[in-house]
Amino acid sequence: MNIPAEEEKPLYSQRPEWADVVPLEQYENVAPLAPIFYTDEYKDATNYFRGIVKSGEMSPRVLELTENIIRQNPGHYSAWQYRYKTLMALKSPLDDELQLMDELAIKHLKTYQVWHHRKLLVQQTRNPGPELEFIANSLQVDMKNYHTWSYRQWILANFNDDALWSHELDFVESMLESDVRNNSAWHHRFFVAFQSGVRNGDEDRDAIDRRELAFVKERIAIAPNNASAWNYLRGVLDHAKIPYSELQAFVLPYSLPQPPLGTPPEVVDLESPLPSKDSQLPCVAAVEFMADIHEAAGGGDLVKATELWKSLANEHDTIRKRYWEYRIAESLKTRSAGDG
Amino acid sequence: MLPTSLPLLSKGGHATHCKRCLSGLPSSQVDIDPAKLALSFYCLGSLDVSGELEKKTRDWEREQWREWIWSQQTREPVLKSKCVGELSQSPGGHYGTGFRASSYMTTKHSTEEYSGHDNPQIIMTYTALLSLSILRDDFSRLDRKGLLKFLRSCQNIDGSFSSEPLGGDSDLRTTFCAFAISTMLDDWSGMDVANALQFICSCRSYEGGYGQSPFGEALGGTTYCALAALQLATKQLDPLSLQDRQKTIRWLVQNQASNGGFSGRTNKDADACYCFWCGASLHVLNAGDLIDKAAMTSFIASCQFKYGGIAKIPGEHPGTPFSNPLTLQQTLS
Repeated sequence: MNIPAEEEKPLYSQRPEWADVVPLEQYENVAPLAPIFYTDEYKDATNYFRGIVKSGEMSPRVLELTENIIRQNPGHYSAWQYRYKTLMALKSPLDDELQLMDELAIKHLKTYQVWHHRKLLVQQTRNPGPELEFIANSLQVDMKNYHTWSYRQWILANFNDDALWSHELDFVESMLESDVRNNSAWHHRFFVAFQSGVRNGDEDRDAIDRRELAFVKERIAIAPNNASAWNYLRGVLDHAKIPYSELQAFVLPYSLPQPPLGTPPEVVDLESPLPSKDSQLPCVAAVEFMADIHEAAGGGDLVKATELWKSLANEHDTIRKRYWEYRIAESLKTRSAGDG
Repeated sequence: MLPTSLPLLSKGGHATHCKRCLSGLPSSQVDIDPAKLALSFYCLGSLDVSGELEKKTRDWEREQWREWIWSQQTREPVLKSKCVGELSQSPGGHYGTGFRASSYMTTKHSTEEYSGHDNPQIIMTYTALLSLSILRDDFSRLDRKGLLKFLRSCQNIDGSFSSEPLGGDSDLRTTFCAFAISTMLDDWSGMDVANALQFICSCRSYEGGYGQSPFGEALGGTTYCALAALQLATKQLDPLSLQDRQKTIRWLVQNQASNGGFSGRTNKDADACYCFWCGASLHVLNAGDLIDKAAMTSFIASCQFKYGGIAKIPGEHPGTPFSNPLTLQQTLS
């Protein structure tokens, strides 16, 4: 069935079935800041909406009216709020409402109200299952949309059902397959692996740490210049309280100007996968990582750290020159404090 | 390589753009209505930081704007005995006084009291106070006690603040606004500070930035909200260890892209507004000089639109000046 476009509908003021409602115009006692030059359709619909709010009517036609307003202005907070109250009062079938929201959410991915309304509905239906698929589809439209990812985290944490969690790592992996630099996906992986409690089968936390380290190392090998993956690596190490120095063998080849010579390609060290061919080396994040290892070792190694920071400041990462010089100055301060 | 001479900062052009928005917006921008006071603050702020407010606007205009902003201050409803709706559920049944976004639900016979469908909102209240201050108001009409009560009724059990007493979003934006309002009132009795600080800490991500809410991805805007709120409440950013600070500084400077602009999240493209959010966050951490200022200035300069306004990225149309005064502030500092 074809739904007639908005402009084909007559104004509410011309529709006999609305004749019993007293429309109320927006009123300003003084000239407003940034007045908006509303269209006639919008003025008409909101006049009737203000009338409805005053009378307190909650009926099926209120759902039509609020949908009309929301389509013209998805940020109309009061229309969303009144719509929700009306849905509750009428005990309307919420699955229908969610279907309508599927369409509106994709259209207005960056509007807070769309997501807020959806949360309220799902809290009523208590049926989070279909939501994960809906979110996966929305992410196809905008893979890094903040609201969409937050909503996914909320669904998982709020309903916290084993069935919901069961495919989450696969989902993240597929997202990272499409874009290994998608930081939202990396962030989500951290949430699933470390921040959302311990689920059945995940009790061995050391195994989880090892699994995540292996996962991120493999992705770094594919695309070494990827800040998201390096931040994830640091995140896992910090979380597990593993010293960075334990990763030295893995990181070192990435911090050198060219891949180490003489390594037979058929020998693959799973613990320390090498940078893929054609990688741009040295990788800034790896040089920084090596410097951190040397700084933590202290003593004579500080000289090595300083050399690496200098190379970042003057050659490999000049936009952060001042930051790398600050790191040198800070380490000198710590050293002289240690000497004293 | 940076260009040897930067495009000039088109102060007059940006001011004209803001004045134009304050004078009227096309119907296509109807979605500004529920955030009108915020937009007004951004426009007034841009005019103010560029020193153009008195030049571009007249006394009577500023007087009228003050009046309009005050007419958005709505008071707690006085409960009548027959009223047994949601409003009477909290002890005392009052939610205090604040500012609503705009007059889009106001009708001729509306009163100063809100009805539940045009509630005051915490972000709008914060921006209303700033706008009134830019317009040099004497604040004699401010209901201070009511405002503190409003803050209290917005705070949730987890320490966060809802955007309005009966619900709405609760995240670091609303938290920052509550902290800023308390600072402006010089009165912290409107919130449980310890609980609110705990909420802020719970939004910290493994990258060193802060997400919008707990477990959220680190984001430039909300990182500023977190750090600025911590500074307002504790002066020395007490809840942060030295390691925490270093990690946050690292993440913030990492967000400067090779074109000089800042991205709001790791691996995203630079956007003019994050020059402020990330730059100001570093400033709160006493590390504002660690960025490449020349490269950033060059990026912002190239985001300028020839008819005034600053776009998100070079070559784009500027739209409404959300965040512009902040970007300008960053450019001028």
